[in-house]
Amino acid sequence: MIEIRFHGRGGQGAVLASELLAQAAFLDGRSPQSFPFFGVERRGAPVTAYARVDDRPIGVRTSIVTPDVVVVLEPGLLRTTSVGDGLRTGGLLLVNSPLPPARLEAPDGVRRASVDATAIALAHGLGSRTMPIVNTTILGALARVTGVVSLEALGRAIDRYVPAAPAENRAAATDGFASVRLGDPAAPSANGAARIPFAVTVPIPEGPLARLPSSSIRTGSWRTLVPEIDERRCTRCNFCWKYCPDDAIELDGRGYPVLVLDACKGCGICAEVCPPHTIAMVAASEGP
Amino acid sequence: MAKLTLPAEEWMYRGHAACPGCGPALAMRLLLKGLGPRTILAIPACCWTVIATPFPTTALAVAVLDNPIESTGASLAGLRAAADALGLADVTVAGFAGDGGTADIGLQALSGMLERRTDAIFVMYDNEGYMNTGVQRSGATPQGAWTTTTPVAGTRRGKREPKKEIMEVVLAHHPSYAATANPAFPEDLVRKAERARAARGPRFLHILAPCPPGWRFSSEETIALGRLATETGLFPLYEVEDGVYRITRPYGTLKPVDEYVRAQGRFRHWTDAEIRELGAQARAGWERLCRRERETAAVARPPPIPLTA
Ligand SMILES: Cc1ncc(C[n+]2csc(CCOP(=O)(O)OP(=O)(O)O)c2C)c(N)n1
Ligand code: SF4
Ligand code: SF4
Repeated sequence: MIEIRFHGRGGQGAVLASELLAQAAFLDGRSPQSFPFFGVERRGAPVTAYARVDDRPIGVRTSIVTPDVVVVLEPGLLRTTSVGDGLRTGGLLLVNSPLPPARLEAPDGVRRASVDATAIALAHGLGSRTMPIVNTTILGALARVTGVVSLEALGRAIDRYVPAAPAENRAAATDGFASVRLGDPAAPSANGAARIPFAVTVPIPEGPLARLPSSSIRTGSWRTLVPEIDERRCTRCNFCWKYCPDDAIELDGRGYPVLVLDACKGCGICAEVCPPHTIAMVAASEGP
Repeated sequence: MAKLTLPAEEWMYRGHAACPGCGPALAMRLLLKGLGPRTILAIPACCWTVIATPFPTTALAVAVLDNPIESTGASLAGLRAAADALGLADVTVAGFAGDGGTADIGLQALSGMLERRTDAIFVMYDNEGYMNTGVQRSGATPQGAWTTTTPVAGTRRGKREPKKEIMEVVLAHHPSYAATANPAFPEDLVRKAERARAARGPRFLHILAPCPPGWRFSSEETIALGRLATETGLFPLYEVEDGVYRITRPYGTLKPVDEYVRAQGRFRHWTDAEIRELGAQARAGWERLCRRERETAAVARPPPIPLTA
C-alpha cells in the first residue's frame, strides 16, 4: 500500500487531486481511497487531502500520519505548514517549484522531486496568475516519479471527472509527467532531525476554555495579493481601517494606515473602498 | 487626520478563519464595537462557529456559548436567567446566528424568546444561504438565486420561492427594538448595536452580510455590493422601536438593481425581464416601508409591553 498526502490551498484543487488520483488508480484495476481533512476550506487557507492505493481492498480508515509521499501544490506552504510531518525515510516529497530538487528542504533520507506546475498550468490556461490550478499537472508528475497510476488512466480520469477544460488538463498532466525532476535523498543533517520548519506552533491552553486570541494564527499566509499603501496620497480618512473584515489595518499616531502583514488575507476591500485610490493590490511574493 | 467615526476598541481578534472578504466577519467586528466587552454571545453551528474557533484559539474577546443550530433563542433565555441569578445586570446577552439558524432551523426558539419577552438581543447575519456547509438554499435565499440545492439547468432557474421576510415574522412578536443593518454602513450598524444594547426586552438585528464564495463574487466587492443592496431598496436600513418605524438611510430615488444583480454569479442566468421584476419588487418594498414610517409616526406610541417575565 502507498499512502499519499496532499497539501494545497483552498481553491487550488488539492481535494480534487486526491480524488482524481484514486479514480485513476481504480481505472488501473487497483483499490484506492481518497478523502479530505475535515477543516477550514476557505479560499487560500491550507488544505490537506489524503489518498491510499493498494492491490487489495483497504481496511484502514484513518487520516495519514506517516505518508510515503507528500505532494505540495504551492511552494509557499513549505514555509508556513509542517508538510514533512511523519514522512517516512525513503519516502518522497514532490513540490510544485521551479527549483531543482536538490534545493528543496526535506527531512533526512527523503527523496525530492520538483515540477514547475504553475508555469505548465498557466501555459495551458488553467487558473489565474494569483490562483493557478495545478492539480492535474502535479498528478502527471506524481504518476511519473511513483508509478502509482499510469498516465493513460490519469487521462481517462480527467476526462470523466474534471468539470472544465479536460483537454487542457490532460495536456498539462502530460507535460508534468515529462518535465518532473527527481533528485537524490536529502543528506542527514548533523542532529538527524527533520529540517522542515514548524511555523504554526501554538501552545494548547490548560483547562476547558479556549482563551488564546486567534491573532497568533498567521492568516497572512493565505493571500495571493497584498495591499500597497501610498502614504503620500492618503487623506487619513480611515476607510481602509473601518471596512477590513480581518482587522488587518492599524492607524499610527498620525492616523496613517499600517498593514498587519501576519493577518491580511489580501481580500482587496481596502483598495476598493479607499476614496483617493492610494492602495494598490500587488502580487504577494513572500509570506509573512 | 479625520476623527474616528467608530469606537477604536476591537473585540474581534484578527487571525480568524473567515474567507477573505467575508461580510459576516466584518459584521461581527462592527457589532462588537457597539455591544462592547460586557457581552456573552450564543453562536449556533454556522460559518461563525468555524470562524471563531481555529483550535486552540478564539477570535472573540467576549464570552461565547457554542450551541446547537436550533437553540440560540433558548440559549439566550438561559444565559439571561443565569446572568440575572449571578447579579450580572450590566451584561448584554446576544445571539449571533446565520439566516439558516435564525429564519429556518432556529425559528421556533427565536419565536419563543421573543414571545416570552426574554431580555436579550438576537442578531441574524444574513448571507442568504447555508454557507458553512457549502452553499445550500435557505428560507432567506432570494428568489431566482443559484445555490447547490437550487441549480440552474434546463427549466430550473435557481430558487423558486421568494425570500422569507424575517423582519415581518419578528415584528409580529412586537419586540422592543428591531433594526436592519449592513456592514457597508458601519456607523449606522454600530449605532444600532448601541441602541439595542441600551434597550430592554427582546431585541432583534437583521444584518445583511455578503458572502463572496456563496454569492459568487470577487472578495474586494463585499462593501460595494452591500452599499448597492441598500441603495437599490432591496435591503433598506430602518429601525422599529415599540412599533414606530424610522428609516435610517432615506433615499429620494433608488438606484436600479442591474449592477447589484450583474455583479453576482448566483444571478448570472437572469434575463433583463427578471431584473426588471426585481426592481419593481424593490420599489414596492421601499414604498411600503415609507408608508409605515409615515403611519406609525402619526399615531401615539402603543402602550409599553411588560419586559421580561
Ligand atoms: C441540526 C443540524 N443540522 C445540520 C447541521 C449542519 N450545519 C452546520 S453549519 C450549517 C449551516 C448553517 O447555515 P446558516 O445558519 O445560514 O449560517 P452560515 O453557515 O450561512 O453562516 C449546517 C446546516 C447542524 N449543525 N445541525
Ligand atoms: S486586503 Fe483585505 S484583509 Fe488585507 S488589509 Fe485590506 S481589507 Fe484587510
Ligand atoms: S462562506 Fe461566506 S459567510 Fe462563510 S466564512 Fe466564507 S465568506 Fe464568510
